Amino acid sequence: MSMKSVLETLESVNSKYLMFHAKTSDTDAGDAKFLFSAKDNLTSKDMETCAGSRILEGYFPAFDATVIAKMREAGGKLIGKTNMDEFGFGTFSTNSGFEIPRNPYDLERACGGSSGGSACAAAVFEDHVSLGVSTGGSICCPASFCGVYGIAPTYGRVSRYGLIDYGNSLDKIGILSAKAGDLRKYIGVIAGRDERDPTSCVQPELKNEGRRMKSVAVPKEGVEGLSKDVEAAFNNALEELRRMGIDVETVDMPSLKYAMPAYYVLATSEASTNLARYVGMRYGRQDGDYTLKFDEFFSGVRSRYFGDEAKRRILLGTFTRMAGYSDRYYSKARQVRQVVIQDYKRVLQDHDAVLAPTMPFTAPRFDDISKMSALDNYKADYLTVPANIAGTPHMSVPCGYGSDGMPIGMQFVADHWDEDVLFTMAEDWEKEFEMKRPEVGA
Amino acid sequence: MDRETVERVARTAHIKLTEDEIRRYGNDLAEILTYFELLDEAPGSEERGINPVEIADVLRNDEPRMEIDPDILLKDMDTYERYVRGPRLS
Repeated sequence: MSMKSVLETLESVNSKYLMFHAKTSDTDAGDAKFLFSAKDNLTSKDMETCAGSRILEGYFPAFDATVIAKMREAGGKLIGKTNMDEFGFGTFSTNSGFEIPRNPYDLERACGGSSGGSACAAAVFEDHVSLGVSTGGSICCPASFCGVYGIAPTYGRVSRYGLIDYGNSLDKIGILSAKAGDLRKYIGVIAGRDERDPTSCVQPELKNEGRRMKSVAVPKEGVEGLSKDVEAAFNNALEELRRMGIDVETVDMPSLKYAMPAYYVLATSEASTNLARYVGMRYGRQDGDYTLKFDEFFSGVRSRYFGDEAKRRILLGTFTRMAGYSDRYYSKARQVRQVVIQDYKRVLQDHDAVLAPTMPFTAPRFDDISKMSALDNYKADYLTVPANIAGTPHMSVPCGYGSDGMPIGMQFVADHWDEDVLFTMAEDWEKEFEMKRPEVGA
Repeated sequence: MDRETVERVARTAHIKLTEDEIRRYGNDLAEILTYFELLDEAPGSEERGINPVEIADVLRNDEPRMEIDPDILLKDMDTYERYVRGPRLS
């Protein structure tokens, strides 16, 4: 598919899959070397940026996020801003204030979240790379559900300047693509120190040595609670890895079961402070009633435009930080994060990566998602949150298809700053794994 | 979570809740916090870093600069004579 034909069919393809919140109307790629899309929580000069929230409706940023600027400098043309859960708050992209992207393998099913639109675009368009953002699994989960490769690099590897914050100690910008080679190529484009994000300024150089994995560790805690299809596909993938000459060893990682509650405490604590800035002034929705006193004005705008899950997470995060509760929740969660990091470091002394399925089930149907409680949603993230609170680089690669025809992914977690070993794994795996692309019609 | 706590948290967070939301979020948060009791039995750590990797303070030179023209920023803001409009303080 040429760049021109992608652009010419953008409108009709998007009306089927709903991956874009905003998109280009250009039908000519001009001098562009490649097309890319970006999650809608990355600021872009020429397209509305809402992060999936109605409170930001009408926000046209005055600057490009560092990652978008770098992709443009490398010759990329931004074709659309992808739909997502509001501020990244979700596992299925169904918590969007706007359009909900549809899974390319079955339109009645979710793309995963929160970078659902990005995974959808990566699966649907040929030669397409999409920028995603992961806070608790928001790159690997949708990559798994949409059958593409996805990588979240080490925390601090990629500048977050221009990213609309969810949880500052957790947010990581990464790459989704149907081609394994794009992970190395485009992390190479967006990584690097940026004085506008001090957390990016301590990173060691990104290596490109092609180092191969010799040994992976499968934690017992990572193969519990799986659907039959996921378990079968994962076991087949382990056989394939052994055939490739990689040792597979089962290990104990007792800290993993504490990662989910620790993650939701840290993430909502940070989110509730970050979202305090949205009060109906300066950007986005500015239609509050100026006759009201400031308290009433702020509460009015926030209550009207924040969605259901945003309110829930603000309440949860505000509570867990409150005097009398913060020791039990926030302080303890920070300690648990360190325990999880130590657990990874211990296992990674003897292994190149920790490996488990990315998600415990295949992409669920929208009608089943609507029956899930908030806690059910959070629990679905138990495999992706540990690497995210540890800030360790992690990658989902497609590893099979369920009896429902839906893609299944597995997630490799490497040590801090060791993206190279993940890139090489993806490139080797692509040669062995037969990917089934979805049938795409406009 | 009891009604009084939900209302107090919502007030702190500048969110107005309907009767239905108070009940619904109260139930949801109670269920979630019960699950979070798992943290009570989790091992602790002497280390309590804010970030998952070590971060050094990196400061730029203290030289004034302006990268974005304020008029461009003001363009999309609700303003009155180049002042950003906001609600009454009292």
